[in-house]
Amino acid sequence: MPIDWEPIWLTLRLAGITTLFLLLLGIPLAGWLALSRFRLKPVVEALVSLPIVLPPSVVGFYLLLAFSPTSGVGAWLLRTFDLQLVFSFQGLVVASILYSLPFMVHPVQAGLENLPVSWREASYTLGQSPVRTFWRVLLPNCKPALLTGVVLSFAHTIGEFGLVLMIGGNLPGQTRVASIAIYDEVEQLHFETAHTYAALLLGLSFVILLLVYAINKRVTI
Amino acid sequence: MIEFDLTMPRLFSEGNGTLTVQLTLETGSLTALTGPSGSGKTSVLRLLSGLDRPSQGRITVDGDIWLDTEQRIKLPPQRRSVGYVFQDSALFPNMTVRENVAYAAPAGQASLIDELIDVTGIRPFVDQKPVRLSGGQRQRVALARALVRRPQLLLLDEPFAALDADSSQALRTVLLDLHRQWGTTTVLVSHYETDVRALADRVVQLQQGRVVRDTTVADWPARSGERIERIHFEEPTQQWVIDTATSQFRSSNPDWQRFSVGDQIRIQ
Repeated sequence: MPIDWEPIWLTLRLAGITTLFLLLLGIPLAGWLALSRFRLKPVVEALVSLPIVLPPSVVGFYLLLAFSPTSGVGAWLLRTFDLQLVFSFQGLVVASILYSLPFMVHPVQAGLENLPVSWREASYTLGQSPVRTFWRVLLPNCKPALLTGVVLSFAHTIGEFGLVLMIGGNLPGQTRVASIAIYDEVEQLHFETAHTYAALLLGLSFVILLLVYAINKRVTI
Repeated sequence: MIEFDLTMPRLFSEGNGTLTVQLTLETGSLTALTGPSGSGKTSVLRLLSGLDRPSQGRITVDGDIWLDTEQRIKLPPQRRSVGYVFQDSALFPNMTVRENVAYAAPAGQASLIDELIDVTGIRPFVDQKPVRLSGGQRQRVALARALVRRPQLLLLDEPFAALDADSSQALRTVLLDLHRQWGTTTVLVSHYETDVRALADRVVQLQQGRVVRDTTVADWPARSGERIERIHFEEPTQQWVIDTATSQFRSSNPDWQRFSVGDQIRIQ
C-alpha cells in the first residue's frame, strides 16, 4: 500500500510555523521574565508554565471552548477576520504556540539569567539602552539556550496528540498530523501503515536531536 | 568638578550600617578609594555610575545634576558620562576586541577607536575574542572601551585584582599615560598600595562606609605593621587572602597558612 506522506509534511509544517512564531513571541517574553523586577512576574511565569503540568486534553478543551464560533472570542475572530480556529490548521498553530510556549521560554530565560550581571551593567554604563543591550550583548551570548528552545519547541509540536485531537480532529490535509494518523490507522487495524508513520517520526525525532546535540557542542559564542 | 554626598543602608563586613560618603573631586584628579573588603568602596562607584540608587544623595558634575533625591532627579547609567572598568573586565564574549571597543563609540569616531587601541597596546590581538586574552590584556581592552565615549568620570573597580606583577605594571603604565594625556577625572578602587602610590594623587580611606582618612598620596603614611583581621584561602584563584584594617593582600605562597587573625604583619 503506498504511503500517504501528507500527515508527515503537515506535521513538519505545523512544527516549523509554530517554532517560528515561538521565536518571535518567546524571546521577548523570556527576556522580560529574566530581566524584569515586575511584582506580578510570578503570575506570568505560572501562566507560561501551565501547559507543562496540565493534561493536553484540559488545554485542548478550554481552547476548543474559546475558539468555538459560539464563544465570544471565536465569534469575534469569525466576524472580524473570517477566521475559524476550530478544526482548522490555523487553529492547530495557535494551540501549538500556546502549548509549546514554556519549551521556548524556559531555556532562553534560564540562559539569560545565567549571564554575568556585569555584562548588562557594562553596556548600560556605555550608554546603551536595555533593548540594544538585549539584542547585541545578552541574546548573542545565549546561543546554546536558544538552540535548545528551538529544538524543544519543534520536537514537542511534532509529538503533540491530545491537543491536536481536541482542537483539530482528523481532517486529511488540514489537521491529520502524523500522531493522529498513527492513532487512526491502528484503530482501523492497519498496523503496517501505522508502523511506517511511527518509524518515520521516531527516525526524524532522533535525527533532529542528534543534529542539535552535535551542533550544540560546536557552538561557540 | 564632581561633588557628591551619598547615603545608603548597606551590609558591611562588620554588619549592617549606613554608607555615608561626601567628597569633592577636582577635574582631572585621580582619587584612590582604599579600605578593607566590604568597607563600601565598590558601592561608591556603583552609586556614582547610577547602577545602584542611594536612599539619599546628590551628585553634580560640572554643575550638571546627575542625582538629587530631594528633587527626585536620577539619571540612569546611560545618561551619565561615565566609563566603568569592572573587576572582571565584563568584556562581551560574542565580540572581538575591536568590536568591544567600538560597541559604544559615537558614529564617525574610527580614529578615536584606533587611537585608544594604540594607546592601550591592544592592537596585536584586536581581532581576537576576549576568551583568548590574558587578564591583563582584558583589562586594557576594558579600559579602552570605557574611554571611547570620552567620559567625564572614569571609575576603575579593582582593575589589578586578578593580575600578576608584570601585567599590573603594564596596566599601571597605560593608565598613567592615558590619565596624563586625557586628564579624565578618575576614581580608582584598589587594595594595592603600590598601585595607589603609582597612580593616585589623593587617597580616601573608607571603613564601614565612612571616610576615615582623606589625604594626598604624599602624606599617606607608609605601612609599618598591621593586624590581620581576616584570613582565608580563595579556591578559584588558589591564593591566601589577608584583610587588614586598610588593605587586602594575596599570595599563593604556602607559608601564608601559618598566619592567623590578630597577627601583626609588616608589608614591604
